[in-house]
Amino acid sequence: MPQLEQTEFFISQLFWLVVIFTFLFIFLWRISLPRISSVLEKRESKIDDDITSAKQLQAEAEEIQKQIDQQLRNARLETSELIKTASTKFQNHTTKELHQLDNNLSNTIEESATTIKKNIKDSLKQIHDQTYLIAKLTLSKISNVPVNDNEIKDTVDQLQPKVIN
Amino acid sequence: MSASGEKHSPLEQFEITPFVHFEVGSVDLAFTNSSLAMVITTAVITLFLTLSVNTRSIIPSRVQLISELSYGFIAQLLKDTVGEQGRKYFPFVFTIFMFVLIGNMVGMLPYSFTFTSHIIVTFALAAVVFVGVTILGFAKHGMNFFSFFVIPGLPWYMLPLLIPIEVISYLSRPISLSVRLFANMLAGHTLIKVFAMFVITMPFYSGVLPLAFIVALTGLEILIAFLQAYVFAILTCLYINDALHLH
Repeated sequence: MPQLEQTEFFISQLFWLVVIFTFLFIFLWRISLPRISSVLEKRESKIDDDITSAKQLQAEAEEIQKQIDQQLRNARLETSELIKTASTKFQNHTTKELHQLDNNLSNTIEESATTIKKNIKDSLKQIHDQTYLIAKLTLSKISNVPVNDNEIKDTVDQLQPKVIN
Repeated sequence: MSASGEKHSPLEQFEITPFVHFEVGSVDLAFTNSSLAMVITTAVITLFLTLSVNTRSIIPSRVQLISELSYGFIAQLLKDTVGEQGRKYFPFVFTIFMFVLIGNMVGMLPYSFTFTSHIIVTFALAAVVFVGVTILGFAKHGMNFFSFFVIPGLPWYMLPLLIPIEVISYLSRPISLSVRLFANMLAGHTLIKVFAMFVITMPFYSGVLPLAFIVALTGLEILIAFLQAYVFAILTCLYINDALHLH
């Protein structure tokens, strides 16, 4: 077995092992490992920073959300109030207008009734007068008897219905 | 493997071949194929870990992610076994893990050399861990470190029996640590080589079977290469934990 037979190379193997291993140890200790370590630390600190800033942003976002919710609540209240006020105002206005309209209609109806009554009275008076004249003319034409106007008038008055008044 | 057929030992792949001889006094510090494998391993680790994190981007590329995952893997391992106190030993455990892991992986390449299949190398690594951990234990607890060999709550009359067992158990740590890695690498590579010989020596069509077995074994060996590096690293962590916290 060369491992145990070639003893003449034991010292050279040990020598090169010590030299090479020492070099490797110092190289890794001083150069390679600090580099890897710095990269890992940099990443860790970046992640920590990102997490901190994310938490901060989340807190800000929550605050903004709260404000938005509050504003929405206020806006809903205001809207509701406005609708209520407008509704009341509109209702009052409508009632007032309807009342006004009722009054106007009542007046118009009253005026119309008065006018109709007057017209009926006038028409009846005209009919009465015409009837009187027709009766007077008719009697004077057919009988040549003088007829008292008052008699004719009384007779016509008796025949006429008492509409007026 | 020799094409001429002079050598067919499955252990031939573990032979040390010197490339350049450095004579220092009477000692030959030859640069060998083992040293070259170590240099390649170190080059792969340093270049990969340096270039992959060169951009240092917050969102990592796939290559950078591999470096970060290996860093996180060992950091978590150390945290789980030792706790926060283990942070300062992280570079050492990470170096051991990467050195053994990539050394094992480089050894899986055809025509390369597995330096972790040499007991002298694995024993040296285990000895560094053992000596380091023992010094750490004494530095942390002083003479109180010897209380590590006394199991709490044990009746006094059992102590003469169990203290020697604990001491032997402690002293055999570097042996078990090194032999485990060495034996696993040796066995795996030898097995692959044996089956490779079957491919050549068996009749043409029947050679397909051992070839298929080699493919499966290579997959298993890659798993073992990782597993042994992990075991080496986790045991190092556990030894550090013992030294820091005793029981």
